[in-house]
Amino acid sequence: MSDFDALLKARGITETLGANITTGVFNRAGSHAAFALGDGSLRLADGKGWSRINAHEGAILALAPDCSVSGFLSGGDDGKFQRVGVDGSVIEIAGFGMKWVDNIASFAHPKSGLLACTVGKFVHLFNADGSKSRSLAHPSTVSGIAFDAKGKRIAASHYNGASLWFTASTSETPRFFEWKGSHLGIAIHPLGEAIVTSMQENALHGWTLPDGKHMRMSGYPSKTESFGFTKSGKWLATGGADAIVLWPFFGGGPMGKPAVELGMSDGAFIKRIACHPEFEVVAAGFDDGSVIVADIMKEKILPVCGPGRGAITALAWNASGSHLALGTESGFAALVDFSKQG
Amino acid sequence: MPDLIPVTILTGYLGAGKTTLLNRILTENHGKKYAVIINEFGELGVDNDLVVDSDEEVFEMNNGCICCTVRGDLIRIIGGLMKRAQKFDGIIVETTGLANPAPVAQTFFVDEDVKAKTRLDAIVTVVDAKHLLARLDDSPEAADQIAFADVIVLNKLDLVTPEELARVEARIRSINRYAEIHHATRGNVDVTKLLGLNAFDLGRVLESVPDFLDEDSHTHNEHLNSISLSLDAPLDPEKFNIWIGHILQTEGQNILRTKGILSYKNEDRRFAFQAVHMIADGDFVAPWKATDKRTSRIVFIGRDLNRPQLRRGFESCAA
Repeated sequence: MSDFDALLKARGITETLGANITTGVFNRAGSHAAFALGDGSLRLADGKGWSRINAHEGAILALAPDCSVSGFLSGGDDGKFQRVGVDGSVIEIAGFGMKWVDNIASFAHPKSGLLACTVGKFVHLFNADGSKSRSLAHPSTVSGIAFDAKGKRIAASHYNGASLWFTASTSETPRFFEWKGSHLGIAIHPLGEAIVTSMQENALHGWTLPDGKHMRMSGYPSKTESFGFTKSGKWLATGGADAIVLWPFFGGGPMGKPAVELGMSDGAFIKRIACHPEFEVVAAGFDDGSVIVADIMKEKILPVCGPGRGAITALAWNASGSHLALGTESGFAALVDFSKQG
Repeated sequence: MPDLIPVTILTGYLGAGKTTLLNRILTENHGKKYAVIINEFGELGVDNDLVVDSDEEVFEMNNGCICCTVRGDLIRIIGGLMKRAQKFDGIIVETTGLANPAPVAQTFFVDEDVKAKTRLDAIVTVVDAKHLLARLDDSPEAADQIAFADVIVLNKLDLVTPEELARVEARIRSINRYAEIHHATRGNVDVTKLLGLNAFDLGRVLESVPDFLDEDSHTHNEHLNSISLSLDAPLDPEKFNIWIGHILQTEGQNILRTKGILSYKNEDRRFAFQAVHMIADGDFVAPWKATDKRTSRIVFIGRDLNRPQLRRGFESCAA
């Protein structure tokens, strides 16, 4: 049993943070991982130690790397959208009163960086310096957002489909992709070939770009809370089942192609997925607290940590893919070093 | 099994005194913390630390049930509330006056994440004693809110005569015979009669049901009524599932609520069954006591219910 924790013990630093971890990400430089907590604090780990920043009044609901190399963006149920520095500085970008800031995304670029947050039915777009750009209205509450790889478009999921907006346009109408039901999260293919949403009915739905053909991916025993494309865009890695379910986005797939399943567990469901930034490798975190890393081409599974510390709620690679951050519902956090060691 | 956070749904027509009652609940010195979910168009302010604005966003599930509508905003808000480090003793969901209670209730049956963290404690409907009869005549939502209720607060008692009160109560009983009715003026009801009832723990409710064997009360123009059936012979669970499944599939649009405590053959535990329209849920609860008469009881509240047909069907489920 302790074998499952071998990698964590040999290559990890761990900490018990004392509150529900809601999400976690690395900054763009990869120097710090940030964990967002239900008590409103952000905990930073830089590989040597941990620090605490009291960022929000209530729970932190959303977290993303800032456009800058080292900072973070956070949103909470206190209605605040904030910029948090590794030096502990907290700057409010916007405040929304009683409304919650549910989702955050950013697009880094030397000239045209963008920040986005969702509040109710709106996606609010900001320039990299925090100045307001536009507010995009939707028919119902926005449940997820994603920039495309070039920052030219932003996609939003909501009831009855998804909306795709050009970030530089002033048009009030997005391209609307319709599919009845409640869509809970969204991802854009890295080469811009498709958008995919997760749904209330334990399924995913997708549309090809630019022609908008439907793709249905179903058969999950629970909701897919987390999913993403691999670096090449060949695979869509998804949670919600007792194994990593990989849909092939090549050779005409996923339509009419079976999904590949990797890393079958003993009855635990996957809560978080993190695709490696360089290789066709996926990390998966389960509701029993265990984490695995799967090499898709070699079909090899590497256990990272075993069960028993609460459901995984945070899972992220740094930009080079040398470190994996993981956190759980009960406040256990770890950084695991995957770099070659001499 | 983890402690599930109780959720109380507070419904009532515009002007019935919902927000006054809510503020009364929140300011009473009970030492408990509640998260309150309100609609942004509410006319009065709510006096509480933790108030969440919602948009009452209803959507239809793609699960083959034509009337399975769910409040997606509640799923999201409850998920968010569960992330907070600061815990609370319960959640109160206030709906707008015109809201149909079904999507709120169905949310607690349908969504696995919500079911894993919370339990529906009771649906409390506030009605205005002075204006209820007029409301019932001009709006179907008012009748639905009564039909769905576990508890009815008959408010503004100071504005009616004893005769008017008797007429209003009779009308409420003609729709829903199984809800508890509490009289109130400006919402002065003891909080313990509204919260922490476990009304969806059906045993207590059905045991206190009066007049199980009497005839249906006469219905008015809304055609909403409630009937109860009982059976002393133990049930065959398979037969019951087939029968109730068929009834809810075919009549579920007209059946607003179903509640039952069932005695299955060769089973010492009571089986609690409940449904909102077509969405059903059931589980074994505490065992029958040695002194209990193991009578299965089921209650239907709905429109144009066919009592003889339901009775024959229920009786055919005997093992």
